[in-house]
Formats: sequence, C-alpha cells, structure tokens
Amino acid sequence: MASSKGYSGKILKVDLTTGKFEEIETEKYKSWGGGHGIGSAIFFDLCTDKTIKGTDPGNVVTLMTSPLSGTLAPSVAGRTEVQGIGIQAYPIGWFTRSNFGGRFSTQLKFAGWDGIVLVGKSPKQVWLNIINGEVKLQDATDLWGLNTRETQEEIWARVEPSKKESGWINMGVSRDSGRTTQHPAVITAGPNAEKFGPMAALVHDAGNGAGQGGFGGVFASKNLKAISVVGTGGVDIADANALMAARMWSNGYAFGGHHDDPASYTGLTSFASTPGKPLSTIQDNPAGTKSRPQGCVGCIRNCRGRTDTGKGNESQCVDFFWYDHHDVKANGHVTDASPRAADAIQLAGVNAFAVEAATLWIEQLYNKGIMGKGKKIDSNLPFDRFGSGEWAEAFINSIVTQTDIGKELCKGVAQAALAWGRLEMDTKSGILPLQEWGLPHHYDARTEVEWGYGSLLGERDINEHDFNWHVYWTPTINGLFGVEPVVSAKRLSEIFAKKTAPFNDPMMINYSDEGIYSEAMAKTVAWHRHYTRFYKQSMLFCDWAWADMVNPYGPDNEGMTSVGENKFMNAVTGGDMTFEQGMEIGRRIWNLDRAVWALQGRHRDIEKFSEYCYTTGAQPGTTTYEAPYTMPVFEDNEWSYKSVAGRVLDRQRVEDWKTLFFKLEGWDVKSGWPTRETLEKLDLANVADELEKAGKLGA
Amino acid sequence: MKDKGTTLNPRSSEPDKGKTFSRREFVTSIGGVGIGAVLGGMFVSSIALPDKVFAVPASGGYLLVDTKKCAGCTSCMMACSLTHHGETNMSLSRIQITQDPWGKFPNDIQMAQCRQCPYPACVAACPTGAMHADPKTGVRTVDEDKCIGCEKCVNACPFTPSRALWNFEEKHAEKCDLCEGAKFWDEVGGPDGKRACEEVCPMGAIKFTKEIPVQSEDGYETDLRTGTVWDSLGFGGAPQSGGHLG
Ligand code: SF4
Ligand code: SF4
Ligand code: SF4
Repeated sequence: MASSKGYSGKILKVDLTTGKFEEIETEKYKSWGGGHGIGSAIFFDLCTDKTIKGTDPGNVVTLMTSPLSGTLAPSVAGRTEVQGIGIQAYPIGWFTRSNFGGRFSTQLKFAGWDGIVLVGKSPKQVWLNIINGEVKLQDATDLWGLNTRETQEEIWARVEPSKKESGWINMGVSRDSGRTTQHPAVITAGPNAEKFGPMAALVHDAGNGAGQGGFGGVFASKNLKAISVVGTGGVDIADANALMAARMWSNGYAFGGHHDDPASYTGLTSFASTPGKPLSTIQDNPAGTKSRPQGCVGCIRNCRGRTDTGKGNESQCVDFFWYDHHDVKANGHVTDASPRAADAIQLAGVNAFAVEAATLWIEQLYNKGIMGKGKKIDSNLPFDRFGSGEWAEAFINSIVTQTDIGKELCKGVAQAALAWGRLEMDTKSGILPLQEWGLPHHYDARTEVEWGYGSLLGERDINEHDFNWHVYWTPTINGLFGVEPVVSAKRLSEIFAKKTAPFNDPMMINYSDEGIYSEAMAKTVAWHRHYTRFYKQSMLFCDWAWADMVNPYGPDNEGMTSVGENKFMNAVTGGDMTFEQGMEIGRRIWNLDRAVWALQGRHRDIEKFSEYCYTTGAQPGTTTYEAPYTMPVFEDNEWSYKSVAGRVLDRQRVEDWKTLFFKLEGWDVKSGWPTRETLEKLDLANVADELEKAGKLGA
Repeated sequence: MKDKGTTLNPRSSEPDKGKTFSRREFVTSIGGVGIGAVLGGMFVSSIALPDKVFAVPASGGYLLVDTKKCAGCTSCMMACSLTHHGETNMSLSRIQITQDPWGKFPNDIQMAQCRQCPYPACVAACPTGAMHADPKTGVRTVDEDKCIGCEKCVNACPFTPSRALWNFEEKHAEKCDLCEGAKFWDEVGGPDGKRACEEVCPMGAIKFTKEIPVQSEDGYETDLRTGTVWDSLGFGGAPQSGGHLG
C-alpha cells in the first residue's frame, strides 16, 4: 500500500513469560495489508516450532486490526482477527483464525496500536490493561473464576477513574491526556477457561464472540484472562471527503438510504438487509419483546438487538439457533428458553457452534436410549425438560464445571465422541455432523460444495457467506414461498462472473452434479479463499455485510463488491490499490497459511470429509439446514435453480477435483504442498526454505 | 424517552432569526413548570454574569434524536470528527453515544447531542466571547482563536456528558456547530445545509429541525418511528416465532 494513513504504525508485542513489552513497526508487515495477513506473517516469524500444541507456551497469538478499523467504512470498523494454533480441531489443532465484532479493534486503533501479539506464558494469572500508550499486566487471580460479564464490569471499574470531568472520563493525570465517554473494550475468556479449553470462546461486551479454535482456552493456557483497551486518539484519514462520499454512496445500497422505500426482496442479501432482520427471526425472543437493532462500530447493518428484558442482548443467529428449535419443539413457539440459552453461552464463553452440533447429537443419543440417567452414557441432565431454559443452562454449566457429560465435552465434541467410543460410528451414520477436522459445519459439503471444500482445504468451518446467501438461501426461500427469484440463475451467474476477478467465469456457480467437480468450482474455491483471506479477514469487511454480490438496491441488482472495497480502502489509506491487487495479496496469505499447515502435518491424503458425506444424504435432525437445498445449476445448456438435497459426494471425484484445485493453485498434486516456484513468485522464498528444511516442500 | 412534564420550552415556534431571549424572559417562560436539578446548574453559572440583558439569537436549527432507533454503531461520532478534524476520533465528536451492553432497552443507550439551547449556559459562561451564537445562523459555536482554554463552557453546560468539550489535541473548546465549520467536508453544513451525523446514521435516528423542539430533562420528546417503515420491522414487539426452522 502506498500510504501510511489508516494505520497506527505500531503493534504491541507482549511477552507473557517475562512481562516485557515491545513495539513492532507495522511498516515491516504492511505488504500483507492488515488483520489476518499481518497475523500470519508475524506468526510465521515468531513461532519457531509450528508443530507444537495450542496450549504450549510457544504458541503465538495475534489480535489484529486493519487500516479500516475505527473508520467510517461500512460494516468493517469493529472487527478484530484472532489467530494462533488452535485447540479445537481434531486430530491436529491447526493454525487457525477466529474473528469478533464490537468495539475492540476501534479502541485499539484509538489507543495507537494496529494489533497485539501474545507470546509465552505468564507465571501468574493476569489481565492486560492498555490505556493509550500505557500498557500493564495486572493481577487476575480474583477475576479468574468470573463469567464474561462480571469480568468486563470489574475491569471497567478498575480502569475508569471515579472522578469524571463534566461526564467525561479523563484517561490520565493531565487535562490533555485525553477524555472519552466510552467504556474500555474488553475481550475475555470465561470462568476457568483452561478447563474447557477446546469449547472456550473469547467474548467482548454482551454478544461479540470469537468461538472457533478454542481461543478462550488458549488465552487461559497462557494465564491470560482478558485484554482491556481504551484509546482517546483517532485514525488519520488520507481523504476525509472521499471517505464521507463513499459512505454516502454505500447508503444507496443499504436500508439507511431507503427508509421510505425499503426493498421487498424475497431472500437474503448481505449489505442490503434491514437492521436486525437478516433472517425473519434472527433474534429469537418471545412474542412481545421490544428491542432495538444494535451493531458494531461503523455498521450499516446493525444485525443484533438489545431487548426490554435485557435477555439475549447482542446475541444473534447460532447464539439463539443452537437451542431455539429445541425450545419450539418442546413449547410450540419461541419462549424465554431461547434468549436464556443465548445468554448462557455468552456468559460462560462457550462456542455456540460447537454446542449446536453437540446438542443435535445429544438429542439423538437420548432418543435412542444411549444417553440419560443410568444409560450407557450416564447423565443426570433434566432430559424430561429438554427444550427448557433449565436444560440449556444445566448443559452449559456441565461443560464449564466439567461435571456430568461435561466431563468429556469440556475436551471438545470430537474428543468426547472418541472417549465414548462413538466417533467413528456416529460420523459414519452422520448423526454426529462433524464434516472435517472434527468440526461442526454451518453448510453442507454435499450440496453447497464451496463451503465444504473451503473448510477441508483450509483448517476450519469457513463461515463465509459470500456465495451462500445467493446460491442457497435466496433460491431456497423463494422455493419455499413458491415464487420466482428476482435474480434468475442465469443472471446470478453473470453477476458472479463480473465480480470474481481474476477468474470471471460464469460456471463458477454451477452446483450441478457435474459442476461440483469441475475446474470452474476449483476457481470458485480459489477465489473465495483469496477474497476472504484479504478483504474479509485482513481488511476486516464483516461477513454479515460483505461480499456484496446481489443487492436489491443496486443497479440491475448488482452489489458493491469489486468496486466498493477498494473505494473505502483507498480513501482511508491514500493508496490506489485495485480489486485484483487485493485478491493477489489474498492468494499470498492463503499460500502462507497452507505452508504452516504443511509444517503441522497436512498432506492431501488426510484431506477427507467425514464418512457420512460420501455415503448418506442429509437427514432431518442431523444438521439444522438440510432440506430442501435449492441451488443454481447449469444442465443441458441451461441455467435453473434446482434442489440438490440428498446428494452424496463421490470419493474418487472429490480426489480428482482436489488435483484440479492444487494445479490451479500451483501446488504439488501428490502432497498438496506449495512448491518453491509458486512461493517464490509470491515473494515467499523464506517460506519455501522452511518447508524444504522440514521436508514439506511440494515437488 | 418519556416526557416527565418538565417542558423547558413549551412553544414550538418558527425560528425567528433576529429573536432574542433576555434572561428575564427566559426565566419567566420556565417559571411555571417544575425544573429539575440538572437544569438548576444553569442558573448557578448564569448568576456570575453581569446583571443586564443577556441576549442570544435563537439557533437556526436543532438536532432531534430518537434513542429507540439508535443502534449504537457510533457512525455519527466518527462522521462528526472526520468532517471537522480529518480523523475518526470519538473523543473529538460533538455528539456522544454511550451504552450498556447488558442494559434493558431503551435505557441501554444515551444519545448526547447539543441542544443549541435557547439560553446557552456555555455561551453565558465564556469570559472572552469565544463561545458565541453565530450572528447569521444563531448556531452556538466556538471561535477557536478567542478560546483561552478555561473550560468554563465545558463545566457550564447543564447536560452530562457536557456537550461543550475540550479538544485536548488542539487545546480549545468545541461543540456542535451543526456542521457549519466542517472543514474536511465539501458539503455545505449548518441549518441550511447538511449535517454529517444525520447523513451517515443508518437508522435515521437523527433528524434536523428548524422548529424549537419540546424538551424534557431526559431529552427531546422525539418519535421518528411511528408511521414509518419502522412499524413493520418488529422492534415494537417481536411476533410469535416458530424459530429459525419454523
Ligand atoms: S449513527 Fe445513528 S444508529 Fe449509529 S450511533 Fe449514531 S445515532 Fe445511533
Ligand atoms: S453546549 Fe450545552 S449549554 Fe451549550 S448549547 Fe449545547 S447543550 Fe446547551
Ligand atoms: S451536526 Fe455536525 S457538528 Fe453537530 S454533532 Fe452532528 S456532525 Fe457533529
């Protein structure tokens, strides 16, 4: 990037072992853009043995912002990228990522930092206190057993001086040290999170969580409870006027610009959805609950809510969905049990997605008479009240206190299945839907392959909805309502072709039985990996708003993607990056991550989905979105939307597709490892050297 | 917010550019209604003034906020500092949004915008005339060159947090000028132009008016929801739901 604007200029390195702080110049890593790119590059440099476990003191954890953090770029400013060796995946805890919204990244930038790097392990329990340039490690013994809300409120009380100047909090001794009206932004692990590490999330405010990877457990393994940051500075913008103009331009694509004429689009869009309503019931509260929409810093979507009961505040989607359907089954409609379940995971700092899969599976085990009082898997959870708030709270509590079935589940879902002797059996039948790497999945590899392939060739359930809204949800919802989608399958293929540089192939959204094994699908997955690695995980465009592919307010239903991203970036940084240049940085980051996984033991031979994906079509009750699954297909020279539900994957054809993909990426087709030639073209000769030394360089 | 019956200015009048309020007139106009402790602070600061007619033209406009619509995204705060200072800096924003993540709606969010008070305590408190009403538009604003940094205006503003704030970077007081002085923005600001916070708010929670709004201790009685599309979005009471699979 040509300009320094947007960056704070320095990254805080905290050596927890010695208690020493160091500044890393952001400049050194700027070619990676920000966020994930910088995090991966720092991890690569500082984590000398990448084969260690996530709980090893040698693990290097990064929390990174982007030049857009704390700016008016819409639905970008509030997100923080977390990386390090994870402890959730099975059998290898891959170097992985998670991401959370809220205010943390913004406060970190305002305090003058582009990111935080954690190395080592503290000799005693501590929390990290950042007030502008002043950084301290403080005793956390009395915080260690507190839940996420208690921890944050206690830290606020410690950071905020009792004396306020006319309602402003003075952050220092002189009147010019800086004032704010804002609470410190705190990211924290739950109570004694080392004891349920693989299930432990990091939580900020009431409902921002980094769930995947078990980073709550990784924090606790370093004897770190929480990080608090408050800043009174700002983010210097290269072209303030251009940034305001870009924001006003993007308003035209959002509810904010159409209060009087909101779109009546059937289906789901990203950027254009109305606030708090990306799904009709995204905040599952009992009838009559009054609420407001609520969002992260700078958001135009404001997808969550706060309620007049205070329950379910800031939770959304799987925070509720892990339990709402059990609530409805037991009670006929959504009751208090759903927000109680959401609050239970937020307060305990437990990964919502892991408990969603676990609960589906537990329900099956109970119904089959395998789990319950005096059963093979003995449990005293109140199964007669399954679907109630009591059950949800008792279940989460069992994990946090390692009691009842929580004794095994605290080690992870796959790990519990292994301990109960059910891993192989239940991932074969599919009643335990751990799609790859022992991880639960959002969308299905058998139907929506870009999601499955991306997760398998990566390291976690991707949780990136760039294709999903348009190729699955919208046609499926239209099908359920019996209406013709506004955007036809053919038109959708044109829009995607236009927005997916450098590939620009309309066949990239062909989800037919042939299309899912095609070279075009290899381009889809490559584009998706590169786009998300740079734009979403490094620049930190929120997954709930971006990519903006189809937009009911856009000209001919086209969203802002491939134009909007760089408009905002360049206004903030003063650079002149093109969309394609960003995609290329994304490819570079993806290759670096792939190299780290190779060092950790990745080989194409172990890149296999769970058995059920090859043998069993999705069955109701095993995942939460199985049928129907209507997607765009190109068959007999024609585009249409068609249900592909019930499909299974062909083992050999998946292998052949992987070969196509590795060729496209310039990786060795035998091992799936990056080659020297590919890495050197990406200016990653040092990475090639390290792979070669470890005997992991692709031929 | 519900009006508690303490209306500060019960009249909703056309802005009258040359119109002035004398302190006596002002005291009379509120004399008959209960006045809360918060507003009491205003009199303490005004007593220090020379006891002659204190005349300030009415502001040419006011920001209305509907806290029930606000999503707490703080975009307004970033837009305010961006257009005035070229940086996004919440500490320099002339509108402040504070919130409690675990609070109960609607008390989880407070929106602190300047009221462009008819009798501005901030202006009254300023010993140099730096804090003044723009003679053309009536907007209460700061002449930064005249500011000596005494912060009397900051302490005089009867609202918490004070809407007059100390710019600790440039060392002068500042306050909402309805974007009249937004020098990092090409748009014309002020009562007859655009306001950055209003423009960026994705929820339409901020609106500008030239009418003097009815005030209570808690804020203006503003409902920007009823009769709009908001009614159909379900925030006024969730419908009975069959869950995400229902
Ligand atoms: S921009 Fe609007 S919704 Fe966001 S905090 Fe400001 S007033 Fe609230
Ligand atoms: S700064 Fe305070 S006293 Fe001055 S006009 Fe604004 S609200 Fe009134
Ligand atoms: S009207 Fe302008 S100066 Fe006043 S708060 Fe809004 S953005 Fe700031």
